[in-house]
Amino acid sequence: MVSEYRSPKSKYYTYIGIAIFSFLVLLPIYILAIIALGDPSQTVAAYYPALIPSKFTLANFIKAFSGYGSVLIAAFYKSLETAFIVASLAILLGYHAAYGLSKLSFKVSSILIALLFFSTMIPSLTIAIPISVSFLKLGLYDSAFGLALAQELIVLPLTVFLMMGALQSVPKQLESQARVDGAGFFQTLYQVIFPLAIPGVISAFLLSWMMSWDEFTFAVILSPVHPTLPILIYFDSTARGDILTATSFSLLVTLPVIVLTIVLSKFIKGSYLTAGITG
Amino acid sequence: MLIAPAVVYVLYLAFYPAIESVRGGFETPIHPFSLYNYHFVLSTFGTRPILNTFIVTGAALLLQFTVAFIVASLLSKPFKGRSAFTAIFLIPFGVATIVAAVIFHDMFSAYGGYVNSFINLFGFHAIDWEATFPKALLVLILADSWKNTPIVMLILLAGMSTIPSDLYSQAMVDGAGPFQRFFRITLPNMAGFIAIALMIRGISEFNIFAMALLIFPYQLLTTMTYSLFDIVNPDPSYAAATILLGFVLIFAVLIMIYRSKYSRVS
Repeated sequence: MVSEYRSPKSKYYTYIGIAIFSFLVLLPIYILAIIALGDPSQTVAAYYPALIPSKFTLANFIKAFSGYGSVLIAAFYKSLETAFIVASLAILLGYHAAYGLSKLSFKVSSILIALLFFSTMIPSLTIAIPISVSFLKLGLYDSAFGLALAQELIVLPLTVFLMMGALQSVPKQLESQARVDGAGFFQTLYQVIFPLAIPGVISAFLLSWMMSWDEFTFAVILSPVHPTLPILIYFDSTARGDILTATSFSLLVTLPVIVLTIVLSKFIKGSYLTAGITG
Repeated sequence: MLIAPAVVYVLYLAFYPAIESVRGGFETPIHPFSLYNYHFVLSTFGTRPILNTFIVTGAALLLQFTVAFIVASLLSKPFKGRSAFTAIFLIPFGVATIVAAVIFHDMFSAYGGYVNSFINLFGFHAIDWEATFPKALLVLILADSWKNTPIVMLILLAGMSTIPSDLYSQAMVDGAGPFQRFFRITLPNMAGFIAIALMIRGISEFNIFAMALLIFPYQLLTTMTYSLFDIVNPDPSYAAATILLGFVLIFAVLIMIYRSKYSRVS
């Protein structure tokens, strides 16, 4: 810990600082909630909207759903489908890659990790356009699976790092013991090591699910006809759409992810994000 | 080999399209190699998008690192309720980029914006936040920093926890004040972590896209690429994408040099 040597007074400063920053973090969420739930006459229709509205209504949601229900459900389903494909594929590719990397010599594995990390440096926008051209030929354009394949690029390096961390905590002797007891290579891989890496697998799954749920760049270029939820929100918040609809949808998209973030806050650590790059 | 699928995947879907993009940038329907696309892009948009991208990146990194350092040093001390507050600070990390853009768009809109409503309490008049470049820039940077400071904060927090507290107590015995301790102990010992945070954030700052589409009515490299994407021939958009890729790679190389120069070998 950085400073254990401080005057008792500094504790109050800590709380004051924390309170100010908590307020700033929560303020935009509060405003999202009051626009979505408040009466329009007190929010978007007022020149100076009330900071604390007195009239609340569900009309915004009802209006958003009634005019738009089928599109919303389609977008919701597409986001969900894409996110699940992305997360499952991330586990499938990431688990094997992490296991393989843990067996290789340091020199070879660091080159491969550098390659993976380098792929995250290429701007999504740079590769999204060539990908969209080749997806048009392959018939993957505008499909959930095609979009998932592209989004996988963003989550894969992080998943591999997370998995490597999870595999490090599995004792090495266990593997050799299983082999001595007659378990085959794949049996060891799936029935002995995998169950022990489950906590890491779950956090990697949820993190990549979350990143896909939020992803914008690939989604807007590869799947504009049948949009995912973030794209739908974007279309609604431009001139053509309705800002109240966009805000209601935003609240719907945000709530599950906020819950997920709080649940995951134990797993989302700076050391994971930097794993494989440090040292 | 078990790694092969992941490596082939990345090569095929990241590196191959990137090369394709660079190649396409130099291609026109008539000539296999020409600089026409670059001339076209620069004569249509000028150098303004490049300059704007640099201003946004620099300003956003400055704000995010300042706030992240303050919050991380607050959270690095043990106090009651620390884990609960850490969870609160993580919330923006989970909010989708486009949602953050929508919220800040609502907060700063000229008509019915909450910020105007707030400054009206103090007797000021409403401000049209998107009317001029500096004001729109401020809104974009605030929105982006709100969403992304948590990541920087987490990385810096991880870095701070690796510094042994003995160093601080020794420095205090030797009479070093808080600023001296920050610049002489905290910063040099965290160079590796700072480099990683700069790398992760700097690259995404160059790529800022969803937010800029919604709340920044001026051209950036990304929004320029996107508006070129709609025209019939994709080649000019490849050229724009290549310019973007070039700047990102230069930035990444600079950070790597910084890291190898100042970071301790651990």
